[in-house]
Amino acid sequence: MLDKFALLGVPQGFDEPQGLDEKYRALARQWHPDRFARAKPPERRKALEQTMLLNDAYKTLKDPVRRAEHLLELRGVKGDPKMSPEFLEETMEDRERLLEAKMSGSGVEDLARGVREKRDQTLAQVRELVARGAELSEAAELLARMRYYARYLDEVEGRPAEI
Amino acid sequence: MPALFEIQEPGEARSKEACTTGAVGIDLGTTNSLVAIVLGDGKPHALAVDEGSTLLPSVVHYGSQGGPGSVVVGRAARRLAAEFPRDTIVSVKRFMGRSSADPETLRLSPYKFAEGASGVVRFAVAEGRTVNPVEVSAEILRALRFRAEERLGIPVKQAVITVPAYFDDAQRQATKEAGRLAGLEVLRLLNEPTAAALAYGLDKRSQGMFAVYDLGGGTFDISILKLVEGVFEVKAVGGDSALGGDDFDRALAEIILGSQERSPRRVREAIDAAKAAKEDLTKAESTEVWGRKITRAQLEQAIRPLIEKTGGSSRRALRDAGVPDGKGLDGVILVGGSTRVPAVRAYVKQLFGMEPLADIDPDEVVALGAAVQADLLTSESPQHDVLLLDVTPLSLGLETMGGLVEKLLLRNTTIPARATQEFTTFADGQTGMDIHVLQGERELVQDCRSLAKFTLSGIPPLPPGLARVAVTFQVDADGILSVTAREQLTGVSQTITVKPSHGLTDEEIERMLLSSIEHAEEDVQARLLIDNRVEAQRILKAAERQLESNGDLLSAEERGQIEAQMATLTRAAQESDHHSIKDEIDKLDYLSADFAKRVMDRGIERALKGHSVAEFDQGEMSAHAKKAYEALEK
Repeated sequence: MLDKFALLGVPQGFDEPQGLDEKYRALARQWHPDRFARAKPPERRKALEQTMLLNDAYKTLKDPVRRAEHLLELRGVKGDPKMSPEFLEETMEDRERLLEAKMSGSGVEDLARGVREKRDQTLAQVRELVARGAELSEAAELLARMRYYARYLDEVEGRPAEI
Repeated sequence: MPALFEIQEPGEARSKEACTTGAVGIDLGTTNSLVAIVLGDGKPHALAVDEGSTLLPSVVHYGSQGGPGSVVVGRAARRLAAEFPRDTIVSVKRFMGRSSADPETLRLSPYKFAEGASGVVRFAVAEGRTVNPVEVSAEILRALRFRAEERLGIPVKQAVITVPAYFDDAQRQATKEAGRLAGLEVLRLLNEPTAAALAYGLDKRSQGMFAVYDLGGGTFDISILKLVEGVFEVKAVGGDSALGGDDFDRALAEIILGSQERSPRRVREAIDAAKAAKEDLTKAESTEVWGRKITRAQLEQAIRPLIEKTGGSSRRALRDAGVPDGKGLDGVILVGGSTRVPAVRAYVKQLFGMEPLADIDPDEVVALGAAVQADLLTSESPQHDVLLLDVTPLSLGLETMGGLVEKLLLRNTTIPARATQEFTTFADGQTGMDIHVLQGERELVQDCRSLAKFTLSGIPPLPPGLARVAVTFQVDADGILSVTAREQLTGVSQTITVKPSHGLTDEEIERMLLSSIEHAEEDVQARLLIDNRVEAQRILKAAERQLESNGDLLSAEERGQIEAQMATLTRAAQESDHHSIKDEIDKLDYLSADFAKRVMDRGIERALKGHSVAEFDQGEMSAHAKKAYEALEK
């Protein structure tokens, strides 16, 4: 498993590492394909590869949910745990409401706010579990929930332009 | 004798020693195209490539005007547009990467279309030829290349070509292909607003968050960028790849045409008249078209819905970039000729809540930025230590069950980028999997743009859900996508660079490349011959017209001299020595300079007596005469 924190040269942690933006810019300057435009093909491939990894790592570490997910992954917590039936029911309701809001063209933003709140609460819980040094497997279901929230929000944010 | 045709710009001669790489920046625009280069002074300069102007109208004429099978580009082609509307392709950029079935191609368009093998747009032009948008664009690029070579005195082989940030994969591929056809190594496709920001950022050494509002002839782009310590990080882009000043012209042309009959020629003339009126109305409150008064208020009413269409994508981009409603924005930069329209400026000011910046010529700024990037990519020691980090304009995904789109790379992902996702088989013993690549923000396949379809075969027959296929999307620094599908168990894999479904087939690309190699023989000499022949015809026609209407200003002897020279030029134009045609043009110029001055004086005199100056400002001869007049004044 690639350690995206290490790739960017920042310590592992739940919160956004200090100086993340500066580190990213410095590494992008070093590796971006533009810097290798006149280099030989193997070097250019390496630069492209490094930059793709770097961009992906930066995107992961900038986003609170993706960052938390990655941190748990690094500590050996795998996804795909059993979800509680209550949670599954809740997600189905959320989706239905989103669909209705999209059809009617209003209220999408309110729903997104609600889900963002739930996500933030879950995130705080995971944070506490990890800080306590508790069983990380306990965090597994929460991790899966965050995945669901992230996906939901991606979908909301990926919606076509409101004219 | 003053050189009336080659007015050298100060400092340009120096460039021969000063620039070493010959890598240029090209703004391949809908209405005008430009070429710029970083010279020894470390600054980008736009080169004068068309009758002393840095703007080369993106107009290509196919026909017999310069000899059989010839191609004319730029102002010379634009002058032929009304007379030969079907053989003169204007605003070809709007057809790039588009299918002939797109509604865009059907609107108020004077062209005759021929069906291509892959549903790509093909124009039927003079002499039974058919050309596609990539070939037409390649003619524009070739003209820029040759003319830049002429001005610089060195070969031009490499270029950074700009594209609207909102161009999709098919449109980018088509642009790159056009560059290749024109004999250029395309170093990079650069997003236009990013190029503009580069030109501005260097100039102002700015830091902070900026919006670039780019409304050109045919495309609208909005980009939000963060500038920190020489890194230009694009945060979000948006736009409409079919919205621009052309639409303003058409909206106004509708008013001008009213209920008149609409022959291709009449439509072209109405559009040209509308364009001129629109330009007049940036300064004047009213103007006259075909004997009818058109006010600025009328224009603004006609184009308001079009201008307001830019608001939606602007707001979305601001939100995507984390600066909703423009709060936290440090500046707004105006790019593109259409931002000269006062109503557009007013709208931008209201939309972003601040006075926009337009200190660099909005027509040139994109080419200047592209030249800087070309220098960055080719120089041992580039003039500027900057880095551009651009993004994908639209989400990229795959078709899944039920006609839904599964997005692998979301829009505004920093490029180069890669994403992988695993899919499983759903039928028992399934040995193949269809991969359908889509681009767009919508959830249903039918609402997104289809980029490519291919089948991964050779999957081992297994119960459903057991075979796993990993699909990887990779977007390079030009924003061009390649897709790999790999079956995890056996390692069967297939990679394709996405060939757009609405784009060109491999056979078409091959045919175009072959014919471009053949045409490499038709070198600069041949092109100069065509250009000079067209110029000769233009001047002869103009001289005839002026002799007819203002011949009384000449003595019999003067008239005789001019007519004799006209006959000499006519003969020279039938031969194939471009030098001699040029010489005879210059002689006619010299002989008629005084005549031109008198015609001009008469024009001014009449204008003072209440006639419109415009009457005298429109003729071909008067543009010519004006040059002569200016030269004489010095």
